[in-house]
Amino acid sequence: MKNILRNPDKSIAAKLIIAIGLLMIILSLIFWYAILQKQEKDVLSIATKYGRSFVNFTKASTRRSMLIFDREETQRVLDTLSTPEGVQGVQIYDHRGNIVFSSKSEKAGNSVDRTSIACTGCHSNSESGELLTETRKLFVHRDEKGKTSLHMVESILNAPECSTAACHAHPESPEILGFVKADLSLAVLDEALLKQGLALTAYVIMFVLAVSIFLGIILYKIVSKPVNELVQGMEKVSGGNLENTVQVRSDDEIGKLARTFNSMIRDLKGARDQRERWTQTLEVEIEKKTDEIQKTHANLMQTEKLASLGRMAAGVAHEINNPLTGVVTFAHLLKKRFPPESTESQDLDIIIEQSERCAKIIKNLLTFARATPSEKGKVSINEVLNRTIFMVQNQAKFHHIKFNPDFADKQFVVVGDGSQFQQIFLNMFINAADAMNGRGNITIRTRGALENEKPYVEIEFTDEGCGIKEEDMPKLFEPFFTTKPVGKGTGLGLSVSHGIVKHLGGHIKVKSTIGKGTSFFVRLPLES
Amino acid sequence: MKKILVVDDEAIVRTSCDRTLTPEGYDVTLTASGKEGIACLEKETFALVLLDLKMPDMDGMEVLSKIKENWPETKVVMVTGYSTVDTAVQALRVGAYNFIEKPFTPDTLLKAVQEVFGPSD
Ligand code: HEC
Ligand SMILES: Nc1ncnc2c1ncn2[C@@H]1O[C@H](COP(=O)(O)OP(=O)(O)OP(=O)(O)O)[C@@H](O)[C@H]1O
Ligand SMILES: [Mg+2]
Repeated sequence: MKNILRNPDKSIAAKLIIAIGLLMIILSLIFWYAILQKQEKDVLSIATKYGRSFVNFTKASTRRSMLIFDREETQRVLDTLSTPEGVQGVQIYDHRGNIVFSSKSEKAGNSVDRTSIACTGCHSNSESGELLTETRKLFVHRDEKGKTSLHMVESILNAPECSTAACHAHPESPEILGFVKADLSLAVLDEALLKQGLALTAYVIMFVLAVSIFLGIILYKIVSKPVNELVQGMEKVSGGNLENTVQVRSDDEIGKLARTFNSMIRDLKGARDQRERWTQTLEVEIEKKTDEIQKTHANLMQTEKLASLGRMAAGVAHEINNPLTGVVTFAHLLKKRFPPESTESQDLDIIIEQSERCAKIIKNLLTFARATPSEKGKVSINEVLNRTIFMVQNQAKFHHIKFNPDFADKQFVVVGDGSQFQQIFLNMFINAADAMNGRGNITIRTRGALENEKPYVEIEFTDEGCGIKEEDMPKLFEPFFTTKPVGKGTGLGLSVSHGIVKHLGGHIKVKSTIGKGTSFFVRLPLES
Repeated sequence: MKKILVVDDEAIVRTSCDRTLTPEGYDVTLTASGKEGIACLEKETFALVLLDLKMPDMDGMEVLSKIKENWPETKVVMVTGYSTVDTAVQALRVGAYNFIEKPFTPDTLLKAVQEVFGPSD
């Protein structure tokens, strides 16, 4: 509202209000003028009516005294008639312009010419004495003080009584004997008219004001406010704020505009949100990729390291085979010199046994170091498990870990690559050892299972480690998912295992309790 | 006489072969490299060569192909470490008679040798 008042140029409502206000004022003025005119006319016609009856009354009242030629009586009647307020004077003229009687006595005896009001009603001007076709009997005169007076002239016609009256006689010839002229003041009516005019003016002003205010409010409510809101909303939007909507107040064009505007904002917001989401996804994606690249890089380094380590291990293992051959051979040679039950023979047996154990360790080490292409064959799960356990037991990482194998009596045979299974199991052991910080029990169980009426072997690896967080569960089998420090874990173990197991038609399941431990269940289809 | 040539760069392996086979009545000659082995073969005829697959100067496979080329009558038994089993299998294809894995026991060695000559009397 303030805006409108401050900047009428910039507001539709203000323009409308001004236009309608002006129109109202003009119309009111015309109306006001017409009413005043009409009132004046009405008042005048009423005054004329009364004036005429007054003059006729004067005529009637003086008729008798004039007939008997009683001058005093006539004068008295005239004086009486002119006493009321508003009657300025009453005169009786003869047709030559002489004032025969007058309520104001000093006027009597004067004469007037044809320019006097009493004569101009019939004679247009003094010289020609021409007569008007239509006689006027009424004159409204306004003096310099603004006082209005009404002059009425009525002719006194020659009647038979006049020429036959006893006292004096008029000749029969002239039709008009004289005139009665009454001067009536209209001051009272003027005053009433003024009062009415003032009141009317006040009414008109009030009416204009009321209509203007009413219009203003209506316009403000219907046009200005919603348009302003719309404008503010648009300004906000152009400022980048898309959270706002404009309130829809009506069903008219402005309401429609607001609704359209809102839907436009919604679309805009949707587009912007989507763009933001895209940007975000892109950022996340980039972050993920960067991470992956870093991890892949680390993994490559790791693989490279492992490969060279493997090569070295293979070389070392191979070299150890030579001295081991010597140890074994000479122990056997020596043993032949002693009888079988002798202590020496038994001691030598220990040497031979331990040497063979060394040979086994080397063999396992080489199996693992070698990158053999996957060859499918019949693999005994128990055997691979035992071999893997045996292998890791000798590593420092597992010195304080106790393995509890709890195998079913049945030998489970699976079609696949032994070294791949070894890889799976080894990763399970390493993960368990890491989760237990290198101390605790790892229980390994095997059992038969039926799934969709097909036989499976289930291998369970249970540790007493830290457990896995609920939020990490779904990511467990993702490649490169690891919680271990860089360089220690690559996050490939489970994902590779999952790939191998899935490829063979099996699956891996996990159960974990934080702080208590974790169980992995590897299911592989049995050879049918 | 059952003449056997042992070619191995490791002295302990050579000695082990000597100590296992000589008491069983075989005539054992020991050499430390592929070159030496070839030189011996050029001087004398051997019924059997025990040949190490991995040697520094001349690779076992190389020596094997040379022997098979020049002395086809001579039988060769390869001695390998576990990691070279694949190579050993390949050696069999080239013409080796058999192979044994290190570390071997006297029994394994004897068995492999006896297979070549037939049981000793
Ligand atoms: C009611 C209309 C009327 C008025 C008012 C009137 N006259 Fe006449 N007057 C006439 C008529 C009609 C005649 C023609 C004479 C007739 O034949 O009676 C006339 C004639 C006259 C004549 C005679 C002229 C002539 O040439 O014989 C005179 C003088 C005259 N009027 C003077 C006056 C004077 C003075 C007044 C004003 C006091 C006056 N009149 C007012 C209607 C009027
Ligand atoms: N037994 C377990 N107890 C607790 N957490 C485990 C266990 N096994 C796996 N995890 C969690 O799963 C993650 C992924 O394991 P995965 O074997 O795939 O990769 P890694 O061990 O981190 O690295 P890599 O095996 O490639 O060296 C681990 O980092 C660890 O957080
Ligand atoms: Mg792992």
